[in-house]
Amino acid sequence: MKKILLTLLFGIFLLGNTQSFAQELSPERKQAIDSLALEKVRDLSKYIKIVGSKETPWSEANRVIDRAEELFAPEAEIGVSSLTSNQVMYYKVRQYLERLMRLNYDRVEIDWYKIEYVSDLQRQPDGTYVGVITVFQTFKGFDKEGRLIYQDTTKKDITVYVKRKETQIGGRLIGFWDVLLGDMRVKETTH
Amino acid sequence: MKLQIKNLFIITMLLFVTIGGTTSCGSKKKMAKKEYEAKVEQAKKDLNAIINEETLWTLEEQKARVEEIEKMDLQNPEIDELIIKAKEILNREIAEAERLAEEERLRQLEEQNQMKPKTSLEDYFAIIAAAPDAETANEKIAEALKLFASPDVPVLIIIYHVGDIIDYDAPTTAERYLNYIKDQKKVNVGIKNIKYDNDNKITELELIKK
Repeated sequence: MKKILLTLLFGIFLLGNTQSFAQELSPERKQAIDSLALEKVRDLSKYIKIVGSKETPWSEANRVIDRAEELFAPEAEIGVSSLTSNQVMYYKVRQYLERLMRLNYDRVEIDWYKIEYVSDLQRQPDGTYVGVITVFQTFKGFDKEGRLIYQDTTKKDITVYVKRKETQIGGRLIGFWDVLLGDMRVKETTH
Repeated sequence: MKLQIKNLFIITMLLFVTIGGTTSCGSKKKMAKKEYEAKVEQAKKDLNAIINEETLWTLEEQKARVEEIEKMDLQNPEIDELIIKAKEILNREIAEAERLAEEERLRQLEEQNQMKPKTSLEDYFAIIAAAPDAETANEKIAEALKLFASPDVPVLIIIYHVGDIIDYDAPTTAERYLNYIKDQKKVNVGIKNIKYDNDNKITELELIKK
């Protein structure tokens, strides 16, 4: 009887602890974080467009590469596919962006659309929220005469990690959500 | 006899002329002394009035009068001393008047600047986002950064605020945020709070997502 009572008390203690640790976010607050992560992916799409554009000055492209790289987790990789090959090549973020900047076309158009969650942000035991956002990317490469010489559409999945952190600013403790993008995996490539 | 009378007449005439001439020269000297004394007296009076600031003359007029007295070269030690004093005072007063004039000029300039419609930070956000190219945007960023104490001033962006709970995006800096607006070509925040230093420069910027 004593053993049962102790087990019960221990169970209640554990339950209480787990609940306080898990601290579910209100739907509105969760929505704000979802939107923040989506916005980071949209920001990335703009950065890729700027880096890919042949009209972007060299210094601007390099600055944007720095900003884009900061959106990712340190070891993140980006997949690159082509209609001419079945193989998907994976590059570190900076490597990918520098290759993009040097692509052998006279003009490049890159557009991302249908940016949405395929897997909602889910809380992990360490407090990090992890989700997957999918994007469709159209790539168009033009020659000197302005003729379209290559075009494809790629569906890519991006893992997103969101973690609450704190920092001191002006003597105040600021709680912020740190969003990091993980690997960007190629799901399919079509015309 | 005739000759004697003639000689007497000539001698009398000569005496008359001589005595008359001597009397005239003395009165002239008397006149010159009086004039000199009057000049000295007037100079002292004027210099003292300048030193004691009892004159209604303008500073330019006072300066001109002192120079005039100096040119007279009255050979009077008291006058010489008064000239030195008056010059010192005038120099001081002219410097003060110039300082006041400069202050007034600056005040008027400031007044004019205040009357000019200033570009607000929110205006800069919109202008940078709408800039036709990177070069134009960079010029506006440089202008906007003058509103900040430094390019590294922290910029905080509230993404959620209910009651005591405030969630921010990762903190950034003024320079980075202005470049972010340039790159993304959008402004989806409002200004929540601005902190300034004594020079009226922004030291912290808090934005809120719209």
